[in-house]
Amino acid sequence: MAEKYPINIWVNEERYEKLQQADLADMCEEMLAGMKVIRVYADDAQRDKILKIFPTAKFDSATTKSIELLPKDVKDKIFDKVIEKQSVDMMDDFLSTY
Amino acid sequence: MPEIGHGGKEIVERIMEPAEAAEKIKGLTAIPIRSQIANEVIDIAYGWFIPLEGFMGKADLESVCKNMRLTGGAVWSIPIIFDLSEAEISEYGVKAGDTVLLTYQDNPMATLEVEEIFEYDKKEMCQAVLGTTEEKHPGCARTYQYKDKFVGGKITLVNRPKINPPYDPYFIPPLEMRKRFKEKGWERIVAHQTRNVPHTGHEWLMKGAWFQSYAELPIEKPLVGVLVNAIIGAKRKGDYIDEAIILTQDELRKSGYFGDHNHLTSLTFWDMRYAGPKEAIFHSMLRTNLGLTHHMFGRDHAGVGTYYGAYDAHHLLASVQDELALTPVYSMNWLYCPHCGEITSEGLCDHKDEQQKFSGTLIRSIVQDGVKPPRLIFRPEVFDLVMVCAEKYGFGSPFVTDNYLEKRIPVFSIPPMST
Repeated sequence: MAEKYPINIWVNEERYEKLQQADLADMCEEMLAGMKVIRVYADDAQRDKILKIFPTAKFDSATTKSIELLPKDVKDKIFDKVIEKQSVDMMDDFLSTY
Repeated sequence: MPEIGHGGKEIVERIMEPAEAAEKIKGLTAIPIRSQIANEVIDIAYGWFIPLEGFMGKADLESVCKNMRLTGGAVWSIPIIFDLSEAEISEYGVKAGDTVLLTYQDNPMATLEVEEIFEYDKKEMCQAVLGTTEEKHPGCARTYQYKDKFVGGKITLVNRPKINPPYDPYFIPPLEMRKRFKEKGWERIVAHQTRNVPHTGHEWLMKGAWFQSYAELPIEKPLVGVLVNAIIGAKRKGDYIDEAIILTQDELRKSGYFGDHNHLTSLTFWDMRYAGPKEAIFHSMLRTNLGLTHHMFGRDHAGVGTYYGAYDAHHLLASVQDELALTPVYSMNWLYCPHCGEITSEGLCDHKDEQQKFSGTLIRSIVQDGVKPPRLIFRPEVFDLVMVCAEKYGFGSPFVTDNYLEKRIPVFSIPPMST
């Protein structure tokens, strides 16, 4: 099975409110002693594209195997897309705009 | 009693008194230097780089590249060299036997007694020290930017740097540091190398290393300390700003997660080469000179990308252990286990399917998303201070931005000299 790499969208109060309004609060997972997070996954090609488009982003290969340090406004766009699609399976859609 | 540093050499500061210095520099050709060289001038002059007395000549450089030793026999892993272009050598009329004046921020900083001007193949240097010649390795990129000639010779500081707030309390050169350790009564001191704002994984790395170092010592009074030695040098966009790093490290002591009896924060000026195992050897030499007895080394110490194996540094350290004056303390990762409900070591906890690893990068991502992590993961005092630093020093951001790079408070200044 192809490897999938998470992008962690950490859920602050503002994001949680939006999720509740969209009836999607159940989407949140709990991590690290109670932090709420939505995990959106990228495959190899999507990960490479993300790292190319957003040069500040970093693939944490050593510890978490996740894509980190995306700018907040990009995370906001991913989050909005999750709400719009009502699904975390939205990466192709999100990347098609770049 | 003389203070003995790396290679069995006495630590002697190479610093001229102001009155003598003002006289000595008269008529010398002035050569401006960049921040990396200024950092290394300070390191040489105050004894961080003992047994070096100046920038390396060709024989030492070759010996470091080929044998990981100076020609005198002491283990040494990273070239310390001063580069100039052919045009600069000609413009300044630099030749062996001359003494020149190195200036920084347009003020006199140090004299350099030119012993030798030479060339060295930069690719060969990269391969030998970094194990690669790829330009994308930041250490190679730095090496390829060197100009084509190298000037070896002894350094003497003629003008002490003024360390600017908030960094000033943390500039503790080797002789002063050793004095502080004696005052604290510490018999063992373990170094924590960092370029990060601490999360609890870092905090537990330090606490674990403190336990490891304490070992068989009596516990009636505090005999072991952790020295946080933050590397302050060239910054990359997205790194934490230096002010946040140094102040939050100290905050762990101020907020009681450690105390005066077992924790001290300090800095070393150094532009990381990301040389992995070779940089680990280098760090052990620096910290020997600071008077440390132990040094933490985690996985992939000072590495970058996938250039080095997780334990390469440990293996290289073991190969020269008899010649290093300090004892390495190898650290396993600390992680969060929801089953244990605590931060624990990967070497202890057996809830493999439940463990949640976290890293500095992950925590930065959380902070960037505007979320305050729970205290088990990131101490609230540390988080609050990061935010204060963002406003006070980072132009609104705790991370390095173009604005910060352009307008930041310099860590040190070289003041004008009174003549």
